[in-house]
Amino acid sequence: MKAFFLRLKQKLDFGYLVALLISLGVALLIGTVILTVTGFDTGKALGALIGGSFSSRQYFGNMLEYAMVLCLCGLACDVGSRAGIFNVGGEGQLILGALFAAQIGVWLKDASPWIAIPCAALGAVLVGGFYAFIPGVLKVKLKVNEVITTIMLNSVAVFICGYFSKGPWKNPSPRVVSDTSPLDRSFMFSKLIPSSNLSTAIIVSAVLTFLVWYILQKTTKGYEMRLTGDNPRFARFAGIKADRIVIVAMVISGMMCGLVGMFRVYGAAGKYQSSISNDYYFEGLMVAMIAQYQPIPTIIISLIFAILRWGAIFMEDTVGVPIQIYWIIQTAVIFCMAGEKGVRAAIHKARETRAAKREIEKRREGGAVRE
Amino acid sequence: MNENSWSNILTVASSTLNQMLRSATPVALAALGGLMTEHAGIMNIGMDGMILMGAFTAAAVSTALMSAALGIVASVIFGILVGLFFALFTVKLRSDEFIIGCALNTFAMGITVYLSRSLFDSAGISNAPHLHNISIPLIRNIPFLGSVVSGHSLFVYLTWAFVILMWLFVYRTPVGFWIRASGESPETLRTAGRNPERMKWIASILCGVFCGLAGAHLSLGNLNGQFGQRMVAGRGYIAFACVIFGGANPVKVFAAALMFGFFDAIGLQLQSSKLVDPDLTSAIPYVITIIMMVYVVVSGQRRRERIAKQQLKKLELK
Repeated sequence: MKAFFLRLKQKLDFGYLVALLISLGVALLIGTVILTVTGFDTGKALGALIGGSFSSRQYFGNMLEYAMVLCLCGLACDVGSRAGIFNVGGEGQLILGALFAAQIGVWLKDASPWIAIPCAALGAVLVGGFYAFIPGVLKVKLKVNEVITTIMLNSVAVFICGYFSKGPWKNPSPRVVSDTSPLDRSFMFSKLIPSSNLSTAIIVSAVLTFLVWYILQKTTKGYEMRLTGDNPRFARFAGIKADRIVIVAMVISGMMCGLVGMFRVYGAAGKYQSSISNDYYFEGLMVAMIAQYQPIPTIIISLIFAILRWGAIFMEDTVGVPIQIYWIIQTAVIFCMAGEKGVRAAIHKARETRAAKREIEKRREGGAVRE
Repeated sequence: MNENSWSNILTVASSTLNQMLRSATPVALAALGGLMTEHAGIMNIGMDGMILMGAFTAAAVSTALMSAALGIVASVIFGILVGLFFALFTVKLRSDEFIIGCALNTFAMGITVYLSRSLFDSAGISNAPHLHNISIPLIRNIPFLGSVVSGHSLFVYLTWAFVILMWLFVYRTPVGFWIRASGESPETLRTAGRNPERMKWIASILCGVFCGLAGAHLSLGNLNGQFGQRMVAGRGYIAFACVIFGGANPVKVFAAALMFGFFDAIGLQLQSSKLVDPDLTSAIPYVITIIMMVYVVVSGQRRRERIAKQQLKKLELK
């Protein structure tokens, strides 16, 4: 038991934990100030923001589903950044995965769910992977900055999905403007909490999360990825096929995003609609950044942000505060976490300068005595 | 070909070129700011958010004070503040530029819509006092040129002046030289007795100002006094791409922005002709951006290789 606590103490990065807690506190403080300035009942609003996710079973289920989405998106980003490639295009991969999964479900509507669901998952994974493959290859073979290409591909994906969901794959009903046809009831994942978004997809996600953590932290491949990300030239000299690892990491990242899209369709929405993702991947990216691209913190922080997100929705319903306060708080956490390193370095530097000055004075005094 | 179809073609061409100038302007303005940070060695992904906040400030102040001019002034002042904020993190605290940029974009989405909803009770602003189009007295009477060049908002013409001014600033003034040095070789600049951090601060503030102006143009010039959550539509990223195409040279960057504007205009023409689905035509500028990006990077590598080979040959001859 004692050995366990010792190991835990070794593993925990206390500096990081303290920084995270302080950042959360500062961010909530900033949120409070903004709430007060814009004239809302601050106490009630904050109570709703923090406690809203636990106000009813439905909110709790929705919160867990959202934590699942954030966690998978964050891990997708982790996988890429481990190998030194930033997948900013997850949003596009996610919605394309959702679109294709939904349409495959429509095509196979007469098949048994045991065939249709794996086919849809496969389709989503392939589309997401392919969509990440393009920027991956461009980055590795031609050295084109992946951030710009993935962001541009996001916009392209939005228009592709718009075209298909309004055109060839539209629900034939004339009342519908831009959705695909609804899926067969038997294809939907069964709900764990009725009338919430929480479905059995979360079990699959938990397995997937464990796998990603295991591969990144415990296997040689994960180590090779980390090596490639930290120093690609050294990795190449060490005999690692760095180029291939970067592309594979990017494709896996895209596949995970595509799968999240499929989960959104088969777990919650039941069809492709333009609100299937509301910049969810970007929020996952923020989570990954705050977690410094480590899997376990990614899981914990996605839970925290899911609580705040559904708390913010509850707050909008009950107190009338615009939900956008959630983004403000989230980015405030990032700014604090990003600034923390610099502040710590500045304090360290100031302390050293003071110590050096004291040392100089001491020597001077010592010198004076000697004279 | 008869007379009628010729005049048809001319009308289409002039309206395409007119739209090209309109579409290029916000991108060009933001890119002028982006090239400053690029020269100072800061990777600025956050321009999208800077533009959005500039657009909101301009629209909100213009609505509140009933004056478009004050809206523009406010967006410039706000741009300075955003530039200071960006520099505080990227220069002073040495945070990851990529993280700060991404966070700035999300923050902009949050704060603008939050303020818009709590101040104006709606997620967007419309009918703010806006800038009127200027028709230039003599030029507007020239047959083809008149309909292309005349009748834009003030910012379109200002941008042309800014391009020249920025070229002079970057390549012909000491401060511009120091800013370039602060990105290329900060230690050399420090040895020469200048503070590279200060140059980065200046570059960042200039970037904030230009992005603020780009936002003001979007809301008050281009959209006639409107603000919406998605109005920037990735123009900050396209501006960033333009900076890279143009090698951070103001004139070349402007040419890249014009190219983006041209394809945007072609997309809009196709859309109004109803030959192609509007969703597909809207994707054109983004696809073109990717293709241009690949082209620029590959041609740059080729050129470097060629130079290296020539150098090698020279050495062999010796």
